[in-house]
Amino acid sequence: MAALSPWDSNLGQSNRAQLAEIDASCRGSVLLFFLSGMLWLLAGTVLALLASYKLHAPGFLGDAAWLTFGRIRTAHLNAVIYGFSAEVAVGVILWLMCRLCRVPLMAQSLINSAAVLWNIGLVIGIVGILAGDTTGVEYLELPKYCTPILFLSFALIAVWTIVIFRFRREKHLYVSQWYILAAVLWFPWLYSTAQLLLVMDPARGAVQAAVNWWYGHNVLGLWFTPVGLASIYYFLPKVIGRPIHSYYLSVLGFWTLALFYNWNGFHHLVGGPFPAWMITISIVASVMMIIPVVATAINHHFTMIGHFGKLKYSPTLRFIVFGAMSYTVSSLQGVLSAVRWFSETAHFTHHTVAHAHWGMYAFFTMTMFGSMYYILPRITQREWPSERLISLHFWCTAVGIILYVAPLSWGGWLQGKAMLDAQIPFLEVVKVTLPYLKLRTVTGVILAVGHVAFFANICWLLVRTFGPYRQPEPMILAGVQPQTAPVGK
Amino acid sequence: MGIISFILIGSSLAFPAVALYALWWAGREGQLRHHDKAALLPFDQEEPLGQMTDVVLNRSSFPKQTLTNKA
Amino acid sequence: MNYGPLLFLGILFTLASSWFGLVVMPNQQLGSLQPNMDTNTGVVFPQPLPGEAAQGRELYRSLGCNYCHTQQVRREGFGSDIARGWGKRGSVARDYIYDRPVFLGSSRTGPDLTNIGERQPSYEWHYSHLYNPQTTSKGSIMPPYAFLFELRRVGPDGPSTNAVKLGGEFAPEPGWEVHPKPEAKQLVEYLRSLRSSVALPEAPLPKLE
Ligand code: HEC
Repeated sequence: MAALSPWDSNLGQSNRAQLAEIDASCRGSVLLFFLSGMLWLLAGTVLALLASYKLHAPGFLGDAAWLTFGRIRTAHLNAVIYGFSAEVAVGVILWLMCRLCRVPLMAQSLINSAAVLWNIGLVIGIVGILAGDTTGVEYLELPKYCTPILFLSFALIAVWTIVIFRFRREKHLYVSQWYILAAVLWFPWLYSTAQLLLVMDPARGAVQAAVNWWYGHNVLGLWFTPVGLASIYYFLPKVIGRPIHSYYLSVLGFWTLALFYNWNGFHHLVGGPFPAWMITISIVASVMMIIPVVATAINHHFTMIGHFGKLKYSPTLRFIVFGAMSYTVSSLQGVLSAVRWFSETAHFTHHTVAHAHWGMYAFFTMTMFGSMYYILPRITQREWPSERLISLHFWCTAVGIILYVAPLSWGGWLQGKAMLDAQIPFLEVVKVTLPYLKLRTVTGVILAVGHVAFFANICWLLVRTFGPYRQPEPMILAGVQPQTAPVGK
Repeated sequence: MGIISFILIGSSLAFPAVALYALWWAGREGQLRHHDKAALLPFDQEEPLGQMTDVVLNRSSFPKQTLTNKA
Repeated sequence: MNYGPLLFLGILFTLASSWFGLVVMPNQQLGSLQPNMDTNTGVVFPQPLPGEAAQGRELYRSLGCNYCHTQQVRREGFGSDIARGWGKRGSVARDYIYDRPVFLGSSRTGPDLTNIGERQPSYEWHYSHLYNPQTTSKGSIMPPYAFLFELRRVGPDGPSTNAVKLGGEFAPEPGWEVHPKPEAKQLVEYLRSLRSSVALPEAPLPKLE
């Protein structure tokens, strides 16, 4: 087995110049996506804190319609899903795609206009939600006058990702590219079907709920999850300098995910007004998710074995490993929640909210943070200015999210148990949840501190045009000596 | 609902077609073979196998010799 | 990896058919349900909402009530929905044919509202509760919707009968009274219209003992 990439000889250019060119070509567009994503994260965090606080202090800021819980909560969800998560995901997609295809980003202005369009559409949409124009469909609340803008923008991004791919200089595909290509193709398809059948020309009655959860589940499973996994599959080997334990397992994981995940949506409808076959099919598919999840977990774990010491040095590795572990936990929790006996209790409770944050935060967001730690210094040619802020960011978000999701999962379960006992008056059920809701607000503050630290570090990185780089060796930029002899194995 | 049914059924035919094409393409391109080589794609001369990248924190305690790929 | 292509062939086909299964099939099966007419009584169910209630439904959507309240009763034997008095029978797909969008809901931070019109028909209760849930349900975490109400001076003929009756700490300053705006009226009309105790062929009401 050759130690270097076996295809290097195909490439005319010197390797270092090529990497530098690719990274530089991504600078403007990826920064645009990252920075606007970060602004959405901050906005989403404020909205989250408000919503969380209101849930145990209902009178707080209750005098205006636009500040009511139902709207703030919805604005939060859309800001962090379609603002932060989607935009950062696109930034990561672009960089990974260029790096793995070994081509510079072409026609940046096109991508930049997609970013601008996306942000305009989203601002209009979120203001619309606060003004009361929500569609009322979960995960698709953005009013219909802004979704065509978003769709157009996303179509540009998807097409451009495929164009980059089309012009790739590296003929062979890495598993991350499979995930990314699938994600950019799946998402427009999901989004357009859902818009058509739910917003533009709503289907009849309960069918809407079916389409709603087919979309709601898949937007996480077929858009965010593949991007998160693409990052893990790239950065985990990259940082520790060792190939993924079993490439075969990673491909198997991809295809089984593709196979089972999109059948999962109806497990959100267990007990609902639907024919039994629909629900059963989703429960079966949800249980089958054990295959890709366990395959992925084994693969990541065996890749990391013997390299855990490296967590000390690399922020990327810390976040990515945290994300990878959370992927396993949250997916297994998802499998459990789909099963009828568990759903009977946990459905309709805060357990579901906790589960959504295991997936979207502990897995996806942490993975994206990790990716940004790797990408930003390379595209800006600057080192991270502050180690302190990095540590603060990591510990606040890691501890914060664990303290959020673990107790709330449990609190939701207790809430469900209390609700199952018809003798317990409803207000007593509410009381059961209160301590957990209050704890959530506290953890929200901890997470917010982490986000601010990260944002400050990014801004600092960008303004620090002058000043010495730390040391030449450490790896980020100038570090490595040009290699002469490849390592044999 | 006529148009909608048409779109739905139409796309459920189009989708397998695209999928089949992807599969055929992947097979032709050799994506389904050479897994050991594919696993090395993230690495190159500049950032080679066997070398940690992204040493940002606690640099003073990072073992020096592992910084080069001779380790 | 000689089985690879075969494996992937199967997988890709399934991927496409899942979409067929979860979107197209439900649409074919449930997409053209019609209301049911009871042959004995001539009652047609469900019915489209009358105007004011339909406007109230829009408010329900716009204010996000559906994030804390479900509108689906799980069948007897699965969960305690019926024992809690949230409905007399489990909900079925036909119950929702006029709903755009459907408010099945996903969270029960508050009780299910499928049958709230029957359980709580009183305007007075709803006004008071919406104005501030603490008035009727001490310790509730439902937000107050006081912005759907307005303060008016007590007229020369004394307190109006339309004013919301609020006691103790919730009462307005002397000389003022709280009146529901039209929006509050619409919302309450909607809540009162939510009734599900009509039998359908696929969902009979339980026999009285
Ligand atoms: C933050 C969550 C929350 C939101 C948002 C919310 N509610 Fe509630 N709701 C509750 C809780 C908790 C209760 C139970 C305690 C009580 O009666 O206030 C409740 C009770 C009710 C009840 C009485 C149910 C019964 O069985 O007695 C009605 C009616 C109601 N809500 C209507 C609404 C309407 C209409 C809206 C939107 C304008 C709304 N709720 C928004 C949490 C919420």
